[in-house]
Amino acid sequence: MKERVTEWMAERVRALSEQTRLGVPGGPSLAYVFGWVIVMFLGVEAITGAALSAFYAPSTASAWASVAYVQDQVPLGWLVRGLHYHGTSALVIVTGVHLVQTAIWGAYKKPRELVWWLGLVLLVLVLGFAVSGYVLRWDQAGYWANHVEIGIAASAPLGATVKGFALGGNEYGNLTLTRFYALHVVALPGIALVMVGAHLWSSRMHGSTPRWGRDGLAPTKRWPRQTLRDVVAMAIAFAILLGYVISQHGADLASPADPAAAYDARPLWYFRWLFELRHLAGSYERIAAMIAPVIVGGFLVGLPLVDRGPDRSPMKRIPWVAAVVGLFALIGVLTFMSFSQDQGDVALAKRDEAAELLASRARALAVKNGVPISGAQDVFKTVPMYTARSIFEQKCKGCHDARSKDRKGPIIGAGHGNRAWFEAFLRAPSSDPFWGHTKIGPTDDAMKPVELTPAELTDLTEVLYAQSGAGDADATKVARGKALFDKACTDCHSLDEGVSGGGGPGLGELGSRDWYTSFISNPKKAIHMGKLGEMPRFDGDLTITERDALAGYLVWLRTASQADLDKLGPL
Amino acid sequence: MADDPDRRGFLKAATTVLGGGLGIVIAAPALRMCVAPTNAQTVTTPTDPIDIGALERLKVGAPWQRVDVIAPVVKDAWTTAHDVPLGGAWVRRTADQKLQALSSVCPHLGCAVGFDGQTFLCPCHNSKWTDAGVLVPNTGPAQRDLDPLPIQIVDGRLRLTWVRYKLDTSAREPA
Repeated sequence: MKERVTEWMAERVRALSEQTRLGVPGGPSLAYVFGWVIVMFLGVEAITGAALSAFYAPSTASAWASVAYVQDQVPLGWLVRGLHYHGTSALVIVTGVHLVQTAIWGAYKKPRELVWWLGLVLLVLVLGFAVSGYVLRWDQAGYWANHVEIGIAASAPLGATVKGFALGGNEYGNLTLTRFYALHVVALPGIALVMVGAHLWSSRMHGSTPRWGRDGLAPTKRWPRQTLRDVVAMAIAFAILLGYVISQHGADLASPADPAAAYDARPLWYFRWLFELRHLAGSYERIAAMIAPVIVGGFLVGLPLVDRGPDRSPMKRIPWVAAVVGLFALIGVLTFMSFSQDQGDVALAKRDEAAELLASRARALAVKNGVPISGAQDVFKTVPMYTARSIFEQKCKGCHDARSKDRKGPIIGAGHGNRAWFEAFLRAPSSDPFWGHTKIGPTDDAMKPVELTPAELTDLTEVLYAQSGAGDADATKVARGKALFDKACTDCHSLDEGVSGGGGPGLGELGSRDWYTSFISNPKKAIHMGKLGEMPRFDGDLTITERDALAGYLVWLRTASQADLDKLGPL
Repeated sequence: MADDPDRRGFLKAATTVLGGGLGIVIAAPALRMCVAPTNAQTVTTPTDPIDIGALERLKVGAPWQRVDVIAPVVKDAWTTAHDVPLGGAWVRRTADQKLQALSSVCPHLGCAVGFDGQTFLCPCHNSKWTDAGVLVPNTGPAQRDLDPLPIQIVDGRLRLTWVRYKLDTSAREPA
């Protein structure tokens, strides 16, 4: 039975086993492992990519949300995403090593030129995967990096057409994502599969290239001694990637793409040399960005055509080896310069820190509240009372916040309009937290401090407090307070709904949501502050929904403590 | 030395084990991630009663009336949506003031069941139920009566609890 199975297999994989028998010249060596390490990393990309595609939703409203979901909520999603993202870096590094080794060994020489060129195509494909994959996350980093990349492409001849084709029209949108997604998961993998196959097949046809000066050595079997070296190298390379991914907890994710917000876009690290070159080129940056890849590419493609002759010893080919090593050293130096320049930029570090804070907030909110279907940007609006608080921030804070430098009105904060607040106000209406900063505060128009016994003051407080409709008002105290009010306050005020007092504001329903809405709409109405009012009216500036939301927030403040306020989190 | 058969055998075994192990380690997180949603509650719909309108919309003794059950909030994997239709229900107030609600989800395979004034009919496989929601035998493949839904009145509003039951079973169990 076993023989028959073996025979069946052998018949069908004969071609492969014959290839295996072709073997490695001069015996197994760690020098031959790089190609297989690249194949392993491509496999990692394919497997993790397939898993990620089962979760990713390519549309402007959902792309970021689905990526954040994978990163922060799917079990091991962060690990798979991290392997996929950092795996590209690993591919670039190992492909670079493979390429430099091939160049130093002269392994591209006749008859292996095709293998070399197919390898270069694969390198370009890897970079294509990186570019098309980075935009898919639709966060600030990927979104703006893509702007730069497409911007470079657009400045080339026929650039406008290329840009329109890539974006799927005139602007970044849903079609941009669906097109880059199709490119990333269908077109490029299809091409890569063919190219990897052709590269492997052609390199196996020619057999591995031994070190210079060892040509003609009898090949030994690849299996198992070379295969073991290949597998050990793969395992070590993967372990390094895995360790790095775990140390980084996957890949980073910035806040959702925001066309309105500036962002310090940086290309992926393997494009940083080009980025630096553009900086150095100054006003010639567009030319540099286009010419440099052409020169580098042209040089690498042309290498087997100019470095001819059978001798592969690097000593005999010093100019070419120096050119290749010099090229990569230059790329390395430019990369280092770009990073060190950022390192010394204090302002940039500050902006990056702010961006990271924004990202962690967006992601925390996405986990807690989910992302609104209206779009990932709206995740920020899922914080409690977002509308009211953002209006307060813009329209009210300057005059009403305790920390405001040029406060013009009473402090509005936690506990605004609760019993303690009323009592403090009644004792000293023109004191600092209340009318101290207003125009009428120091004048005779302002209300005089109420002089009552502490017990009476508590009762009077209760009747004012009860106006808001607060459920916990004490009816007995309210009744006593009402009697006090009728005796001491009615010269200027009234508690009847919709009735202004004699000179002072009407206090009916004071502190209720409707009262706040009315006051915010027009504080100078006779029933409110009348001519004494200093605060501008907001019925023109804010919609009724916005004013109502703001009123709701002020009502909430009454029962809120500073801790509650802090718990809401930043906007 | 290199061709010692024992050593070769060991190398082959080591290569196979290490290679296979590496493959498993690479594939495992991806597989774990992909099976994660299988038994997870990825879509969260409200379990508490949902407002379906004012009590007045149901006349006492009138025939069954169809209402849409709209969830105020539904969390679906990464999104949160508001006012999401969950399904439909047939509701009525009987002559003796009893409030009744039936899920419009067919207990066979989940099609939306209609009412023609006398009988409930599933358009997919012709199962029929009486005016009381009792299965009419031998009409179609459904195995049980229409599923009643808890309904109550709170401050003059109808509040219905949306429950999905297992399909195509004779016993009624929440899904």
